[in-house]
Amino acid sequence: MKKLAKTITALSGSAILLGACGNAEQAEEESFELNWSTTPSYSTQNPTESQANYIADKVSEFEEDYPQVELNTDLQSTDIDESMTRLLEQANTDRAPDVAAIDGYFFPRFMDYLQPLDDLFDEYEIDIDDYLPFVQDVLTGDDGQIYGLYMNTDTRVLFYDTDVVEEPPTTWDEAIATSLEIQEEGYNGLIFPGGRGEGTAVTTLWPLFWAQEGELVDEDGNPTFGEGDNYDKMLNVLQAVNEAVESGATPQRVSSYGGENDLNEEIAGGDTAMFLGGNWQVSFLRETLGDDFDSWAVAPLPQLEEGQFATSAGGWAWGIFAEEEEKQEAAFDLINRLFVGEEGMTEWTNVHGGLPSRTSIYEAEDLEAGEFSDTFREYLEDANVRPASQHYNEISNQMQIAVSEVISGGKSPEEALDDAWAVVNEGE
Amino acid sequence: MNTSNKRSALSLTLTKGIGNSPIPWLIPLSLILLFVFLFPVFEIIRYSFTDASFLETDYSYTISSFVRLFTLPGFYQMLIVTLIFVTASVFFQMFFGFLIALLIDKGQKLNLKGTVMVRTAVLTAWAIPGVVIGIIWRIMYTETPSGILNYLISFVGVDIVPFLSDPYMALFAVTLANIWRGTAFSMILLYAGIQTLPKDVMEAAKIDGASAIQRLLKVMLPMLAPIILINLIIISIDTFNTFDMVMALTGGGPGQSTEVIALSIYNSIFREFNLGHGAATAVVLLTINVGMTIVYLRVLGKRGAA
Repeated sequence: MKKLAKTITALSGSAILLGACGNAEQAEEESFELNWSTTPSYSTQNPTESQANYIADKVSEFEEDYPQVELNTDLQSTDIDESMTRLLEQANTDRAPDVAAIDGYFFPRFMDYLQPLDDLFDEYEIDIDDYLPFVQDVLTGDDGQIYGLYMNTDTRVLFYDTDVVEEPPTTWDEAIATSLEIQEEGYNGLIFPGGRGEGTAVTTLWPLFWAQEGELVDEDGNPTFGEGDNYDKMLNVLQAVNEAVESGATPQRVSSYGGENDLNEEIAGGDTAMFLGGNWQVSFLRETLGDDFDSWAVAPLPQLEEGQFATSAGGWAWGIFAEEEEKQEAAFDLINRLFVGEEGMTEWTNVHGGLPSRTSIYEAEDLEAGEFSDTFREYLEDANVRPASQHYNEISNQMQIAVSEVISGGKSPEEALDDAWAVVNEGE
Repeated sequence: MNTSNKRSALSLTLTKGIGNSPIPWLIPLSLILLFVFLFPVFEIIRYSFTDASFLETDYSYTISSFVRLFTLPGFYQMLIVTLIFVTASVFFQMFFGFLIALLIDKGQKLNLKGTVMVRTAVLTAWAIPGVVIGIIWRIMYTETPSGILNYLISFVGVDIVPFLSDPYMALFAVTLANIWRGTAFSMILLYAGIQTLPKDVMEAAKIDGASAIQRLLKVMLPMLAPIILINLIIISIDTFNTFDMVMALTGGGPGQSTEVIALSIYNSIFREFNLGHGAATAVVLLTINVGMTIVYLRVLGKRGAA
């Protein structure tokens, strides 16, 4: 009997030991690293304290819920082109992080390397149709699968001071006439980004071009902006900008403004009553102009012809490169709770500003919608995004050079467009 | 001599041979140079003969990048812009650097207070990163009445100066900012050179009745020639390679009026993802820099031999 008891005890001990070893091994197997490549703005390094705290809290919650995950944060360069180039190179050489922030217009170029997320969308009850139309196009691959999670977005509009400009100009000619009128009252004329920078392309050039149904590239992504009808449409754009400068409606100095925020210093001076800019400038205007901003309003960007409409939309998305299911699930959960889920997108919009890319969020009870939020949403319904062509960056850079040469008086619109087309087309 | 002694002698000779040889000391340096200098240079030259892009993994070997570079609009303008930028920067950096070095030296001889402060203040400009200098000057050049320089200019009744939006003014503005940035380096080098000049020669010239101008031109400058030459070459190469300050100040615009070669390389590779074209432009810059170095070695070598 004693012998039997000893045997049972020994066997039990062995079983417990084996079980413990098994659990330890299992726990070891389950723990894994998750490499999170993010921009400084979308990390705990965000320079704004409230945003940094929001991200830090959410990350802590995530780490509590996923003790097996060791989250490694890799900060991308603040130079978007440089960081996207590096990420693409990493993806090309199978060294991509598990999950990464990707500028919306770069996103389609990463699709070959990203994992489809349809099952996770279902699991987390996110409906792709809830996204704004342009976002659905960006996130959906040619195979109909969903490849990313979109964060907040942005758009471009005409800002005007109703105390000075009673009716916003709807056409470019009206904008020139209004600009000349308000200059007589001591205000600056119409200003917009017209220098070397992406702001010039997305705020000034492309909306005027897209509104004429111009196409920068064909279906295969090859440049078309300098041939056939598209040549005439792009020339119309450069001629319109030239006319604004030559008539004195727009100062030549806009050729040194490459981004929308470059206008801020001039706006802060208080003599600006009309400019083309981005929705995110609202917070700057409110902070700088204070109560004087009460009289400001927004309107669609003035176009070459009455009845035309076009604006640009931007924003960032998240793509998951990891092939392992547990990594995909953890990465999806992290991004969902930070920026994309109903709670995440609402809270992030409240602390960060910007415009939700999911339509349902605009109706969320907890959303502290910014000024003109509903108007921006209306414009976003028909917003355009930059083409995902691999030639896009060169087209954009060359057209930025072209328009700034026209504004500074270095070249005529025809010469500038011909040179831009020659550079882009010669590379084919 | 038995076998054991022979072996010991051989071993001693080998140890002495290796010990006296510079090879073991040069191996680590050579390896470092190979991996951090020669390999990247080789890669840049290799990529310049391809149509490589950051957006595609495949590429083929071709000379089309060079053909494209030399035939497209903008290349010769870029060379001219770079030449003006470098020539004006180098000349005025040396001129002002020499002037400040002379003033500090004179100040020290006269036991004036504040010479160290002046030296430190000038050096600060050299220590500030190029991007920050670009931003500082961008604020200075703002083309509204609230811009610092335009505000000052308004006191003499001059209208707003388009520092950054006029192609010619923009090149002037960028060059001026670069002169401000680089003067300190010339000052340090020339100041060090002035300190090494033999006092007896300068005094002898003075006793012989040479005027201040004559002493400067006939005595001081010839003795400083090697330092001036080194300074000339270093700041020339440095200016050719400048792109950070220009990028922050004008981004190369308006148009391409301030797009120097180094900035063009950055734009081609990181903005347009065109690695082949960017590498071909980099080879042009490398050729210019190597040419400058050969000139430096030959001219300085001859002077050394003389």
